[in-house]
Amino acid sequence: MTTLAKNARSAPPQTGAPKPRGGYRRLGDLKIALFFIAPAMIGFIFFYVVPTIRGVYLSFTEYNILGDPTWVGMDNYTAIAKDPLFWNSLAVTGQYVFLNIVLQTALALGLALLMNKVAKSTLIRGALLLPWMMSNIIAALLWFWMLDYQIGVVNQFIEWAGLPRVAFFGSEEWAIPTQAVINTWRHMGYTALLIFAGMQAIPGHVYEVAKLDGASPFQTFRKITLPLLRPVLVMVLVVTVIGSFQVFDTVSVTTGGGPVNATRVIQYYIYQRAFTESDFGYGSAIAVILFLILALVAFIQMKFLKGNESDLD
Amino acid sequence: MTTTTSRAPQQAPARRRRPFNPRTAGAWTLLVLAIAVSVVPFLWVLRTALSTNSALASNSASLLPAEFTFGAFMRVFGLQSPADAVAEGGSGAAIDFWLYLRNSVIFSSITTAGAVFFSAMAAYAFARLRWKGRNLVFSLFLGTMLVPPIFTALPNFLLIKNLDLLNTMLGMVLPYLFMTPFAIFFLRQFFLNMSREVEEAAMLDGAKHLRIFFQIVLPNAAAPLATLALLTFIGQWNEYFWPLLVGSQDDVRVLQVGLGVFKSQSPQGAPDWSGLMAAVLVSALPVLVLFAAFGKKIVNSIGFSGIK
Amino acid sequence: MKKSLGAVAVAAVMALSLSACGGGSSSSAESAKGEINYWLWDANQLPAYQQCADDFAKANPDISVKITQRGWDDYWSTLTNGFVGGTAPDVFTNHLGRYGELAENKQLLAIDDAVKKDNIDLTQYNEGLADLWVGQDGKRYGLPKDWDTIGLFYNKAMLASAGVTEDQMKDLTWNPEDGGSYEKVIAHLTVDKNGKRGDEAGFDKNNVAVYGLGLNGGGDSSGQTEWSYLTNTTGWSHTDKNPWGTHYNYDDPKFQESMEWFAGLAQKGFMPKLETTVGAAMADTFAAGKSAINAHGSWMTGQYTGYKGIEVGIAPTPVGPEGKRASMFNGLADSIWAGTKKKDASIKWVEYLASADCQDVVASKAVVFPALKASSDKAAAAFAAKNVDVSAFTEHVRNKSTFLYPITDNTAKVKGIMEPAMDAVVSGKAPASSLTQANEQVNALFK
Repeated sequence: MTTLAKNARSAPPQTGAPKPRGGYRRLGDLKIALFFIAPAMIGFIFFYVVPTIRGVYLSFTEYNILGDPTWVGMDNYTAIAKDPLFWNSLAVTGQYVFLNIVLQTALALGLALLMNKVAKSTLIRGALLLPWMMSNIIAALLWFWMLDYQIGVVNQFIEWAGLPRVAFFGSEEWAIPTQAVINTWRHMGYTALLIFAGMQAIPGHVYEVAKLDGASPFQTFRKITLPLLRPVLVMVLVVTVIGSFQVFDTVSVTTGGGPVNATRVIQYYIYQRAFTESDFGYGSAIAVILFLILALVAFIQMKFLKGNESDLD
Repeated sequence: MTTTTSRAPQQAPARRRRPFNPRTAGAWTLLVLAIAVSVVPFLWVLRTALSTNSALASNSASLLPAEFTFGAFMRVFGLQSPADAVAEGGSGAAIDFWLYLRNSVIFSSITTAGAVFFSAMAAYAFARLRWKGRNLVFSLFLGTMLVPPIFTALPNFLLIKNLDLLNTMLGMVLPYLFMTPFAIFFLRQFFLNMSREVEEAAMLDGAKHLRIFFQIVLPNAAAPLATLALLTFIGQWNEYFWPLLVGSQDDVRVLQVGLGVFKSQSPQGAPDWSGLMAAVLVSALPVLVLFAAFGKKIVNSIGFSGIK
Repeated sequence: MKKSLGAVAVAAVMALSLSACGGGSSSSAESAKGEINYWLWDANQLPAYQQCADDFAKANPDISVKITQRGWDDYWSTLTNGFVGGTAPDVFTNHLGRYGELAENKQLLAIDDAVKKDNIDLTQYNEGLADLWVGQDGKRYGLPKDWDTIGLFYNKAMLASAGVTEDQMKDLTWNPEDGGSYEKVIAHLTVDKNGKRGDEAGFDKNNVAVYGLGLNGGGDSSGQTEWSYLTNTTGWSHTDKNPWGTHYNYDDPKFQESMEWFAGLAQKGFMPKLETTVGAAMADTFAAGKSAINAHGSWMTGQYTGYKGIEVGIAPTPVGPEGKRASMFNGLADSIWAGTKKKDASIKWVEYLASADCQDVVASKAVVFPALKASSDKAAAAFAAKNVDVSAFTEHVRNKSTFLYPITDNTAKVKGIMEPAMDAVVSGKAPASSLTQANEQVNALFK
């Protein structure tokens, strides 16, 4: 991560790692630092910390939004442990995250390679970003329209190709993969751009050495590009995985959790319990659990993929 | 840091115009495929937008607009009478396009300006100042990325209500105004890598931090700031859930929420697909214009800091 | 330093909220004039109600009505936000599936006194509609505005080519064992890719071009347009009593037998599989020529008759084993939010909406059937003037073959449980007997 600015050629000389800061200053920046983070601190406290604490409190209550919350202790949590729909939502979300991340990362990596080696025009790179400029809701509605079983254009093409029509949103087997592909479609260009940025930071001479050694392109990719790209990839992964766990918009405007419970992902289940069924305490308790899961996932990724170390030294 | 448009050095090698290279041809094929996948759906949006809504279903096998009309676009701009709209199978609902557009512009601009500027200040403190608890506070800030938005939506809604700011622009922008964890992280990465010498020289001059920040750090960071601003703006432009929650009344309703009039109006009803698609195109226009203007910057400079 | 910053922020917040509390309180004189906000969801009805609002403002110069239309998808969540946030409209269109909970949470204003004082004759409404809006506490929370029933929309050209007459459509019978003449017609109208009909030998049920009957979805807890017009001809009903039942009956073998038959239609290839219906609206697929008959609500009439190039007829739902037809009878009403500051003006507006003056205007637009008997007739005439015969819908009311939309507590939770359960049955993934278990879950909500 610390190497990303290296492609900026005319940048003033780097002073290297950020750690050794000139010893001309004592630890006396606190006051000025407080001044600089004050606005962000207000936002942090009032719109992140306070609502989170309020949400945690509500998770111990029964609260239907229109009345007053009443304290019920651990009741919500014990009920969740026995709630098959909660466990189902975990499984479904896991399935979605897996498909979405594998597809998105693989495609984005491929696109980034193409951007780096073949597509050098901004127009082409921009075209790949188009889907990302749509909102989630719109992208979902658009695909809902195009993938419809009876009158969707995609199924029309499938039929012209002599294949049987596919119930993309309606069949339990296809529903989650479809959601995963739609979101991959929307995000792959953007993710590719991030990875591409990381590739640009890999110094050219490394490749030249590889070339002299007679390495095939595939070997170069495996032995040089991938390892050097690791910190970037890890960061991209952490961020996309967290985002992927929070899938909601696409489900809410298309399948609404169905067929049966096939797409009742965790955020949608939270929404359903909290907002549709006015059981805000229960919804909050699931949200707390989701928060803990996300924290754990992020921690594991950072730990095992050694995201904060670069191999380029 | 004016180098954002310069290409990385390793791209230079003379690989141009070799006779025929199957590998290159293969790569181009893949690329064309990827572009097609990204762009073709937009053609379908256009085709649908130019169709008569009530004729769409019976012409689902046709690739051309079904009963060509500009009616859907007229609906979006409020130029079609409800009676004509219903006759075309469209939504007779009123949409005050220019008002929603104005609200969207205000909402996205204010939140972008505020979030980028205040996040830059915080990022400066995290990157360039030494103080006790810096890393702890920074990780706490980053940790907010893990909080599910749906979890804080209701408490935030109640807070805005307690402040009596429901259905006001102020209430809509407040949660985004002061910072986003992504912006702070993004800028901190960049500030960490900025040369210390410039700063030190200024220090000897007796310049204070504020002057350093405004006269040295910000100008030097113009490129990443612009990139971040553009990314933030696009995100805010597409924001849906919060504006729906807090700004549902007409005078503050933003475009994304306004598009709802083309969704189904009655239980089990059918959406006005033509109107919706026309609205999608029109509402994406400002973003596309911005992108056309600054796209080169984003595409080529997202890099640096790049990584979230 | 940190502490003082926090203190400043808190002070600022307090100041903001204090300054906001300045306005507000209203005297009773003020509650009878000014602007009132009114919400509805159906954009097709907006012109009619706008005219009502204009007429009303003319007759009451010190009151004005601001109408906001908001699509069904966002209507209820935005309304709930309004209740929580104090920005809800003074008057709004209310739905039977929702009002029980709203009344229980004290969001609705009881209007008994006003109804008594202003001598509103509740018998002038179609039978049963006014009673729907009396809550469990015996108080009235709305005045009826319109009603809807279920009918069979059919594609005239498809009927003609199949040799099914429109008179035949009027005399269909149904039973859960063999489906009666209803299933025969549906089978005959079904055509596979090779042109073979559903009742012919060699019919390929896996490659159907036109389904005899369209499918909207699993129908969740009410089955309003999907299956209730069949299940409720067998003597079955959703709850022990209606309104305000406390026990659901999805475990009744009679009901499960009916659902078994219904799910069987899809297995036989006469009705689309549930999985293929997630996407475009059922009405749109009908317009695309994918189904010959759609059972749907009267509020969809404008949609069906508006499609280009398709001739649509409407037949009454089939006669069941007990010799009667059945249709869910759903009624909407206008309710007043308990938090309104314009109580007197709101009452006036609700009474105006429920009066012949406004309901005749609504009738003249031929979109829905107003609640007043006299206005209903005018609406039927207005439909007829547009060459749409709506007797299939009005017949239910005339012959008293309607049953009420099930009104209970916990409707959102009941729906949450029944939606996946019904989907599983209609898609053939689970036998109808699986509904017994869902029914236990539902009834546990009422303990």
